[in-house]
Amino acid sequence: MASKKLRVVHYLNQIFGGLGSKDQAHRGPQIVDGPTGPGRAIQSRLAEKGEVVATAICGDDYVGERIDEAAAEIVQLIRRYDPDIVIAGPAFEAGRYGVACGAICKKVQETLHIPAVTGMYGENPGVDLFHKDVYIVQTGDSVRTMDEAITRMVDLAMKQAAGQEIGKPAEDGYFPRGILVNEQSDRNGAARVVAMLLDKLKGRPFEPEVLQPTHYRVDPAPGIKDIGTSTIALVTDGGLVPAGNPDGIESRNATRFGGYGFKDIDSLAAADYDVNHSGYATVFTRQNPNRLIPVDAMREIEREKGIGKLHERFYSTTGVATRLETARRMGRAIAAELKSEGVSGAILTST
Amino acid sequence: MRLELNIVQITKVQSADATAVRNGVLCVNRQELEDLVKQDTRLTGVRIELANPGDKCRIVNVADVIEPRARIADSGPDFPGAVGMQGTAGHGTTCVLRGAAVLINDYDIGGRQYQRADEGIIDMWGPGAEVGPYGRTCNVIVLASPANGTSVDEYCVALKIAGLKTAVHLAKAGAGLTPDEVEIYDIPPLRETAGTMQDLPRVAYICQVFTNQRVPLPGDPVLYGHHIEKMVPTILHPNELFDGALTDPYRGYAATYVIQNHPMIKELYQNHGKTLHFAGVIISNAPSNAPESERTANVAANLAKWILGADGAVLTKIGGGAPELTMALTAQRCEELGIRTALALAHQGIDASEITLKASTVFSNVPQVDAMVSMGTSTASPMLTLPPADKVVGVADGSPMGKELRKPASDIRGSFSQLGDSRLTAVRY
Repeated sequence: MASKKLRVVHYLNQIFGGLGSKDQAHRGPQIVDGPTGPGRAIQSRLAEKGEVVATAICGDDYVGERIDEAAAEIVQLIRRYDPDIVIAGPAFEAGRYGVACGAICKKVQETLHIPAVTGMYGENPGVDLFHKDVYIVQTGDSVRTMDEAITRMVDLAMKQAAGQEIGKPAEDGYFPRGILVNEQSDRNGAARVVAMLLDKLKGRPFEPEVLQPTHYRVDPAPGIKDIGTSTIALVTDGGLVPAGNPDGIESRNATRFGGYGFKDIDSLAAADYDVNHSGYATVFTRQNPNRLIPVDAMREIEREKGIGKLHERFYSTTGVATRLETARRMGRAIAAELKSEGVSGAILTST
Repeated sequence: MRLELNIVQITKVQSADATAVRNGVLCVNRQELEDLVKQDTRLTGVRIELANPGDKCRIVNVADVIEPRARIADSGPDFPGAVGMQGTAGHGTTCVLRGAAVLINDYDIGGRQYQRADEGIIDMWGPGAEVGPYGRTCNVIVLASPANGTSVDEYCVALKIAGLKTAVHLAKAGAGLTPDEVEIYDIPPLRETAGTMQDLPRVAYICQVFTNQRVPLPGDPVLYGHHIEKMVPTILHPNELFDGALTDPYRGYAATYVIQNHPMIKELYQNHGKTLHFAGVIISNAPSNAPESERTANVAANLAKWILGADGAVLTKIGGGAPELTMALTAQRCEELGIRTALALAHQGIDASEITLKASTVFSNVPQVDAMVSMGTSTASPMLTLPPADKVVGVADGSPMGKELRKPASDIRGSFSQLGDSRLTAVRY
């Protein structure tokens, strides 16, 4: 096993593959025997341990216009060489090239069930799109960092092929894949935070263990022009559900939501509802669900013509340690339902 | 303020005719202890159970853990305002039964107000004992039911006071012994230390104690016998926390045991006079709305800056998302006043897959808050298979809790710590 030479197929775009510049970006996929361009550096890093048996080449525009199909076509070409691993790029900061490398590596893993590695600069959109699916080695923004990029890519690919444990992102030089793992540190949290504070006070460099996320911005919808004729809905992440929790909404880390009708009801009755939420003291909501979903107050406003109509279905989920991605998915689904039902405004209550 | 801890090591707890410490064995006269607890007429059906490391014993519904400590001679009242009369904790001599713990068990709570259903498990053996600290202590468990006419709130308060009393009663048995170890905690007034430590950065610790995400238990003796749910941040001498001024709010995120052995305060003490000048502890709660959070952040930062004269501050939170926001806001206010900050948190990990290139907190866009230590995330908690127990303490008859259980490690009491005593760290892969 140890003496077996790894069969490596390398992927390049039209520029690095020697087909030409941007004017050749429309070129469809092809594959040639042996290494080409940066593939020679891969071969020299592999040395006796492996062989670049072929190089797949394709124009960036060709892939960009039909990512899935192009990736599938390229993987079919790669398959013929029966590789053990696939290395794509590095793409540095070339956006379309990066997306192509990411898509091809992902497809290779899915269909050929072998590891695939690529390399990009942090700003490359391919990182954002594919870091969860494939190992993307961190590179500089240009070919100046080619040697280092190739070294990291080859080493990481060989580790994967040998079934070795992959190190931390900083150790093996790849972008974190969004997986959090609890590990034991050498010192407790108190010792580490005091040491970090002292480093900060002394102006010494320090490595934070937690970073703030980058939240994307939601632009508010334009204001409601005539509230007096509008249908207004009530939405909550406070976990109010009909007694028995028919949709099985989770008490934390929720993945489900429900829409619950209250046609012709003036005030929610405590006996009809339950609260399944582990993030706040739910006792008051249990006593009077209207304090979370204010049907009673909204009915009054409705009678006074303050709004056109109260939408007779509220939407509910549980917001405790909920994944942002899940929240976004549920939010979109709820918004789509409201929209299709002619609702023009929603009041969101939280806890 | 100078506090001497006379530490007596305990390696085993057993039932006996007289309560005493003999060769590291804590002998407990259970009847005597039950009678002591029964003095509180709010409690009935009082039972004392014992559990040693290695016993195939599972304890559930643990509401708090307390280290047996008693103040010696005329040091002052024990748990002032909660057990003893009002007074000052943190000075004189206190006997500590290290390796022992008193557990209070509210299995007969009935309502759900303060209950966190599946949490609060302690296994004395197997994989559960490895992830939490209280599977390795010799435990004395106080169980009781509410007497007729006693409300759930009263029951919980009575049980907590019973636990504190038990801790004092047991520790008195070690008071006359030669300690195995003596720890001395001594920080004189700032005026006296300022001169000798003028080259060292002054560091304050801003410590959250209670989160207003939870309904406070009325009458819960948290700070010198009173609750702190409406407290503005206040300064305490570090020794006061070690010595019974502060208990963990009922069914809180820490345990009174952790406050008595406060890891952050110990660490700052170890550095005091060497790398930093420990200026004091600011305790605060974590409000659940923006204006009160602002108020807390401003007052805490002002105390650190204008009263303690801090150059730096370490911060911890207690609870979930809202406390994290208050902690970050407090750190931001500190930074704006020129106080450098570092934060340690068991973080939410709001979405491990969403976080693209970064790990996660619930706050964002606070550029000054750049020094953060991870104390793990419960969302990445591994699942444990807890084998069937020979004995289960603290459940109603017929409970399935004694069977094999599949639980996230975070359900084991003390497996996650927000106060700095865990070596857990969440690493991004």
